[in-house]
Amino acid sequence: MWWYVGKRLLQTIPVFLGATLILFILLKLRPGDPILNLAGNKPVSQEVRDALAAQYHLDDPLFVQWIQFVKNAITFNFGETFSGQPVFDLIKQTFPVTVVLAIMALAIDAILGIGLGTIAGLRRNGWFDSSVLVVSLLLLSIPIFVVGFVMQLVFGVKLGWTSPTVGSDWSVGDLILPAVVLAIANFAYTIRLTRTSVAENLSADHVRTARAKGLSNRLVVRNHVLRNSLVPVVTYIGINLGSLMAGAIITETIFNIPGIGNAAYTAIQKGETSTVVAIVTFMVMVYVLMSLLVDLLYAVLDPRIRYV
Amino acid sequence: MSETRPGQERFVAPIDETPLRAIDAVNVDAVPENQWKEAWKRLRTSPLFWLATAILLVIALMIFFPSLFTSADPKKLDLADSFEPARKGHPFGFTEQGGDVWARTVYGARASVAVGVFTTIIVALLGIVTGAIAGFYGGIVDTLLSRFSDIFFSIPLLLACIVVISVLNNTFPDRGFWGSVLVVVVALAAFAWPQITRQMRGAVLEIKNLEFVDAATAIGASKMKNLRRHIVPNALAPVIVASTISLGVFIVAESSLSFLGLGFPSSIVSWGNDISAAQTQVRSGDNLQVMFVPAAALAFTVLGFILLGEAVREALDPKARKK
Amino acid sequence: MNTNTPLLQIDDLRVGFRAGKEILTAVDGASLTIYPGQTIAIVGESGSGKSTLAHAVIGLLPGNGTVQGGEILFEGKDIAHARKDAILALRGSSIGLVPQDPMSNLNPLWRVGAQIKEALVANGVAKGAAADKRVVELLEEAGLPDAERRARQYPHEFSGGMRQRALIAMGLAARPKLLIADEPTSALDVTVQKQILDHLDQLTDTLGVAVMLITHDLGLAAERADHLVVMYRGKIVESGPALDILQNPSHPYTKRLVSSAPSLASQRLSSQNARAEVREQAVQTAAEIAAEVADSETQFGEGVDDIVVVENLTKVFKLRGAKPWQSVDFAAVDDVSFRLRRGTTTAIVGESGSGKSTVARMVLDLLPPTSGNVLFDGHNLRELKTKAERLRLRRQMQPVFQNPYASLDPLYSIYQSIEEPLRTHSVGTKKEREAKVRDLLEKVSLPTTVMSRYPGELSGGQRQRVAIARALALDPEVVICDEAVSALDVLVQAQILELLNDLQAELGLSYLFITHDLAVVRQIADNVLVMQNGKVVESASVTEVFDNPREAYTRRLLDAIPGGSISLGA
Repeated sequence: MWWYVGKRLLQTIPVFLGATLILFILLKLRPGDPILNLAGNKPVSQEVRDALAAQYHLDDPLFVQWIQFVKNAITFNFGETFSGQPVFDLIKQTFPVTVVLAIMALAIDAILGIGLGTIAGLRRNGWFDSSVLVVSLLLLSIPIFVVGFVMQLVFGVKLGWTSPTVGSDWSVGDLILPAVVLAIANFAYTIRLTRTSVAENLSADHVRTARAKGLSNRLVVRNHVLRNSLVPVVTYIGINLGSLMAGAIITETIFNIPGIGNAAYTAIQKGETSTVVAIVTFMVMVYVLMSLLVDLLYAVLDPRIRYV
Repeated sequence: MSETRPGQERFVAPIDETPLRAIDAVNVDAVPENQWKEAWKRLRTSPLFWLATAILLVIALMIFFPSLFTSADPKKLDLADSFEPARKGHPFGFTEQGGDVWARTVYGARASVAVGVFTTIIVALLGIVTGAIAGFYGGIVDTLLSRFSDIFFSIPLLLACIVVISVLNNTFPDRGFWGSVLVVVVALAAFAWPQITRQMRGAVLEIKNLEFVDAATAIGASKMKNLRRHIVPNALAPVIVASTISLGVFIVAESSLSFLGLGFPSSIVSWGNDISAAQTQVRSGDNLQVMFVPAAALAFTVLGFILLGEAVREALDPKARKK
Repeated sequence: MNTNTPLLQIDDLRVGFRAGKEILTAVDGASLTIYPGQTIAIVGESGSGKSTLAHAVIGLLPGNGTVQGGEILFEGKDIAHARKDAILALRGSSIGLVPQDPMSNLNPLWRVGAQIKEALVANGVAKGAAADKRVVELLEEAGLPDAERRARQYPHEFSGGMRQRALIAMGLAARPKLLIADEPTSALDVTVQKQILDHLDQLTDTLGVAVMLITHDLGLAAERADHLVVMYRGKIVESGPALDILQNPSHPYTKRLVSSAPSLASQRLSSQNARAEVREQAVQTAAEIAAEVADSETQFGEGVDDIVVVENLTKVFKLRGAKPWQSVDFAAVDDVSFRLRRGTTTAIVGESGSGKSTVARMVLDLLPPTSGNVLFDGHNLRELKTKAERLRLRRQMQPVFQNPYASLDPLYSIYQSIEEPLRTHSVGTKKEREAKVRDLLEKVSLPTTVMSRYPGELSGGQRQRVAIARALALDPEVVICDEAVSALDVLVQAQILELLNDLQAELGLSYLFITHDLAVVRQIADNVLVMQNGKVVESASVTEVFDNPREAYTRRLLDAIPGGSISLGA
């Protein structure tokens, strides 16, 4: 088991380095005078120029600059925004609400997705199954921001059940609608994956053997069908974090939630590429960490993996 | 010999009730079928397939023959027409800037579908080649390629595109239609290819151990020939399914990018741009069609591709095949 | 319960499967009786309905299967049309099941002990700590060593034989009165099979459990059961005392089975004589070919008598050790030597892990040996440097593999599959190639209309014929059959063996025949190599090995042939 953990950790490092390399290259590709970029396109004196060059190691060979970039990333030194605020402070301020949003969305996705998918899988080819299939296909087709707008319109503006925008003093209740929107984007995949998994397991040999032992249908489904079906679904949900983070940008923008996605959006609007890259780098680090955790969870769930 | 008990006496079934068949005879009359033919047959009879085809046909007409749908000029913007309601020749009224909602929707199909199609083609080619090489050669080649694709896979698609496009936008400010399409396609393809690579690699790993590959080697086929003639064709099925579905995903991704201001420049007519520009409308609740017409068209198109992907998946599903 | 009242009585049972709008009948009017404590065997090929019958008894037909008629009386009560909860109560505690494939029948995510405990709890036999203790006892009873530790392990940590024992423990956990054993050992090595079946016999005798043994192997059925039921295409064609049926089969199908079953046929003098004739013919033809080859300049080879010579062949694989950076050397093949004379067949026999397939791959030049030599017709394979030379070698030696479902490219038509070797070697024009393909199909007794078909439409036996036709396309001298008939039904197997024999006589072929089934060897081989754990245990002519086996392992293998101990009339 520990070798599996060690191996995964070892695999994470080159992936992280590679990702930072790509981001670093993209950063460097930005045309124009890097000093001006850093200073927000305001004219600077030679002294300030020299100081900035020293601070950001702009005269060092590219490889050294990359190492510096990685070191900065690991120590959460992301530089400053154009308005002078340390980017890491910005992240610290905005990340928590995004985390809460993402967790809520994940929970909704998991509960609804697994629940409905299981029922559809157990009653395969029934009317429930077909309608679930159709609805999930429809949901897959509508872009998340359209869903967001519709929900905002219906529940926020017309029905007035929740406030259409969230704003800086947010409460968990305010986040429910955005979380639902965020969940809907992934929900369709979860349902279908669960459904397929359950349906396959229902006709598996070991399920028949379980019945032959004299187990009631309820026990068979709970212990042998569901337990086995959950493994691919859980890992899938974990991988979903990537698209959750991406979806968060859009959802936060629509509902004006002061999260990290919104911060990224604002930075994009203002053309602050370095801030954008910093935020994306941070999110990638989080994503890589989460993938690692999900893989470890997978090993816990499936004993065959541990002993390979 | 022991006594037999009731019910277990010696029994022989009458031969006329239990006639013998020839051992392992070939059914001479059946029509020949292979995997692709079988799949096509199943596609032909699938309602999903025909629905998808109908949808995509409409979209194709919109792209190639827009004059069938509208005679207005999508690029014409007259502020005097701002938010005018529907009138003759303009079934859905006007946008904030005075453009015809319906015409812009019809012509907007080109940009979005172009992105979807070209991204899918590039991703499929990249994915098939790298997946086949990684799966077939194994060892250090596989490890390197897999790590490499993991790196790209680890950066969530939309986030990566944001960075790439931010950079490219500043490098090439005046892009024109095909330039813009290229930017978005490159950004998407650069980070979406690992998905297909994984599919292909998995399929190749399974197939390369099958005995017909050994048989071909024993005949004298070189490794390359084996890969080309036997392994890749058999590994294509899952890739085709994944690609068809991802076409829809790429179109959605493009619109999300446009929404964030990173897709096409506003001079280009696209669904994403129009939806994004109409954001403020929703908050106020008026003039909703300005957003919903292009949004509906977008959803409609994506639905078409996703349904097609579903139909193709069902047709090629090995578990659905007989025996 | 009186041992003279039947425990199970099946009366005119009909079972059908819904396929679209049609109903396919799988069991058509079957009747049989089982008495308490008795073992009966149901024998049939695939598609005979024997498994369906068994599943109908325990009420586990797949979703689209239904009982269409007849009765199943268990202890006098009809269970074919009983309510769900009545059947549930029966399962496990009155009727138990030992299923076929040990790997797929255990839940991979649960510990083995927990799965057996489930059976105890569900049938109200024991709970909690008492159940845990009982689980260990049951595993020991089933012959699993170190049961306490094993109970806490997962199925993938068990070997095939151990898993089967666990399944037996599970089936007997609640002490049912009837145990249905559905091909319980067909996935296992022959020596393991014998151990497990012996153990099962002993256990069921002690416990007084009646056994319904489902098998495709007539010899095995006759050995283990007193009463035999033969099924063919859903109907029972013959039934009665086992020995009687074997010695005096009445129904034509039974006669076919008895004459084709390798374990029984191998007893017969007649099959030995047939083989001798084939060999004579083949050796003669081969000698003629050898003379040609010796004279010719272009033919690959010297025309020597021993067409394949293997000297001290060794293959060592590096496996991952306990720690990732450690590697362990595993000798899959260890110093193997033998000679294959032209026109004869040498069989390599061994159980799984014996290395026999690895030897075949090295002879075929599909795998480089770690050390040792393979000489084909006087040329050492290692010394072939150029691609052209290798190609010429390939023409002389061709394989036929085991899995008919994987040995043909599903996207190639039959014509393309057989033509491929001709195309690769640029033999003849398109027309000539087509003529050759027709000729080959005729040789393997397949109608030429098969040419435009695809593998998915043919049966296993038909695909093997195509594979044989493909192997013969380049007019090779040696054909290496790697378990070529192991995946086929008994009657089809007999057909293919006959085909192979005929082809050998006609074309003067030399065969290297890899198999795990010692019984088949007598019908097809002249010399035998017995392998175990990579080494050659015994190497002799077939008659010597069968009549005077020298090594203990060989004797164990012979002993384990199901039905091998039954004496039949000639």
